[in-house]
Amino acid sequence: MKQSARDEILNKLKAAPRKTIPPRPERPVLREISLSPEELIETFSKNLSQEAGIVHRVEDRREALEKLSQIAKEEGLKKVMATTDDFAASLNLAAWGKENEVQVITPQDFDSRDSFKDAVFEEVDAGITGADFAVAESGTLGLVHNKDQARLTSLAPILHIAIVPVERMVAVYEQVVEKVFGGKKNLPSQFCFITGPSMTADIRGIPFKGMHGPRKVIVILVGE
Amino acid sequence: MEVKTEQFSEVAREELRKAYTFLKAGANFVRIRRETALSTFPDAAAAQAYGAIIRAEAIARLPELLEKFEKNALSNGAKVFWARDANEAGQYIVCLAKERGIEYVTKGKSMVTEEIGLNEALEKNGVKTWETDLGEFIIQLLGVPPFHIVGPAINIPVAKVRDLFMEKIDLKEPTSDPVQLGHAARIFLRDKFHRVEMGIAGVNMAVAETGTIVNVENEGNIRFNKSSPRTLISVMSLEKVVPTLEDALHLIRLLCRNCTGQKLSVYVSMDNGPKKSDEIDGPEELIVVIVDNGRSRIYQDKIAREAMCCIRCGACLNGCPVYRQIGGYAYGWVYSGPMGQVLNPLLLGLERTQDLYRATTLCGSCKSICPAGIDHPSLFLHYRAKDVSGDAALRAKKRPLVERIFFRLWTWAVTRHRLWNWGVRFVRPFVNKEAHEGMLREVGGLFKGWFRSRDLPAMAGKTFHDRWTELREAESRRREPGGTE
Repeated sequence: MKQSARDEILNKLKAAPRKTIPPRPERPVLREISLSPEELIETFSKNLSQEAGIVHRVEDRREALEKLSQIAKEEGLKKVMATTDDFAASLNLAAWGKENEVQVITPQDFDSRDSFKDAVFEEVDAGITGADFAVAESGTLGLVHNKDQARLTSLAPILHIAIVPVERMVAVYEQVVEKVFGGKKNLPSQFCFITGPSMTADIRGIPFKGMHGPRKVIVILVGE
Repeated sequence: MEVKTEQFSEVAREELRKAYTFLKAGANFVRIRRETALSTFPDAAAAQAYGAIIRAEAIARLPELLEKFEKNALSNGAKVFWARDANEAGQYIVCLAKERGIEYVTKGKSMVTEEIGLNEALEKNGVKTWETDLGEFIIQLLGVPPFHIVGPAINIPVAKVRDLFMEKIDLKEPTSDPVQLGHAARIFLRDKFHRVEMGIAGVNMAVAETGTIVNVENEGNIRFNKSSPRTLISVMSLEKVVPTLEDALHLIRLLCRNCTGQKLSVYVSMDNGPKKSDEIDGPEELIVVIVDNGRSRIYQDKIAREAMCCIRCGACLNGCPVYRQIGGYAYGWVYSGPMGQVLNPLLLGLERTQDLYRATTLCGSCKSICPAGIDHPSLFLHYRAKDVSGDAALRAKKRPLVERIFFRLWTWAVTRHRLWNWGVRFVRPFVNKEAHEGMLREVGGLFKGWFRSRDLPAMAGKTFHDRWTELREAESRRREPGGTE
């Protein structure tokens, strides 16, 4: 019987002469690992600002919503897509929307991929999400994608607003991956790191934001 | 993709005339950014070295890690297809598109799909392909190969992009502002992303321990490809596998710092199979295509397989004194710069890529930069040796008969000192007949090729030996009693 491509390739690789596996020195660790919680927040903010992200700090949910109102006014938001992840859900954005004359819709309002895509691509002025992690080492957000965190919400609209409790701040990626992947059987379909707005420098090396994804990323850090 | 590696010299000569000043300035800028970014490691050298060790281990454990990755990807719900070569991969993907009635696909930047000529295969079968990385989009519309792995269209003048967009994507107002040109591409491709039913992306890392696929990007086009369509095809060359997620994270840090001087690219997405049934976006099916295309053959050579450690960061291009003069076209295929000089000869065969592993000063800049620990200069020398010995596995053809006979005779002569001493005296007048103004620039006959890129000073009238003997004799005469002193 003819070997399958899989077996043929693997057998060839296995038949090749072996090389010894080099010994591993200690894994290099970043300085950020030893920062205090307050220093982590500072580092996060500094790193994200360098990548043109905007960071606001507020004390509690009420202040977060006030900040959101201010952003809605400045950006002229009429209609937004908000995810229903635990933190975003806890903010009761529907009520906030009514007060601020912003129509707030969620992916749950749609019964098909196509109608959801129509809205998120064409109709909304911003995507509002929580985030599962904020990582200080590079000013990065970590989002676990699932039914309450639709992927396109943080990608298709021109503005992405993420509201994140400061308790979710960690120093380095490894801490995130440990929590998301560590010893789990049922992994999330996708996990995503986001660091600032979408960008390119493909024409003559001139950088600009908003290539395909958001042109602006605003992070509201909530908590002392 | 058309292979033009055999035209290296011609293309390089043409490109030299264009004097890519931006390339020299730009490469310096990127080099400084890279160094600054690397300095965010407590010990940059140790971090680079650790990356090299991860890649060396991944390649040493390649078959085992691939099996592990496959098992975990399958249990995550992905499908896995193995392709022996470009043709098998292309046919399979064309077939998938046909079965699903796909009119067009959107693509994330992927070097391996260029390597296997996937766009051509799809288009030939009536499936339109849209490259969606801005640089790739531009070169696809222009029909030119990538100039640089990170900035495939970085050399294209703004005016040319403007004219191209006015012609091909209905740019209304002529503009020379890269931002507005980018925006026009955004609008055009956004509609493609909105309605796309099949996305194709590459893979930066495939994690054996979890079956996870990792993509690193700045624009968001790969995320669209992984979010909007019902079908996602992730094409990977088989060396992309790494042992653990922690290893992947370390390599991502290195990749971004070395590639663009960022701490992290804007998006890093990690996929574990298709979307869950209750999710509204993300692919319903995720199909991983693992491409061999010669790699299991290359793997037989213990030295050459080191080239498979490459993580495609492109840093070696910016550091290369040859690339910085001639740009990316001369390398004649998907991979350019030192990276291309080590990869193209293996994938295409040593015979068709003769100039690639010779167009080097062996300065070792690439080696000193490489986060994957590749020793490019040693590989170039290895290829040359294999080329001379006519290694079949690396598809070398022996050197021409005349050359082989010449070097056989040469070896015989230079290892016999009397013969050598007589010979160098004897040939002098004949060689120097070809000299002009004290230089040997063009020599006809057998040595024509050798002098194509080399000038030598004319041979001295007397050999060193002769002069030494004469000097000593003169000296001893001087010291003799009754001498001139």
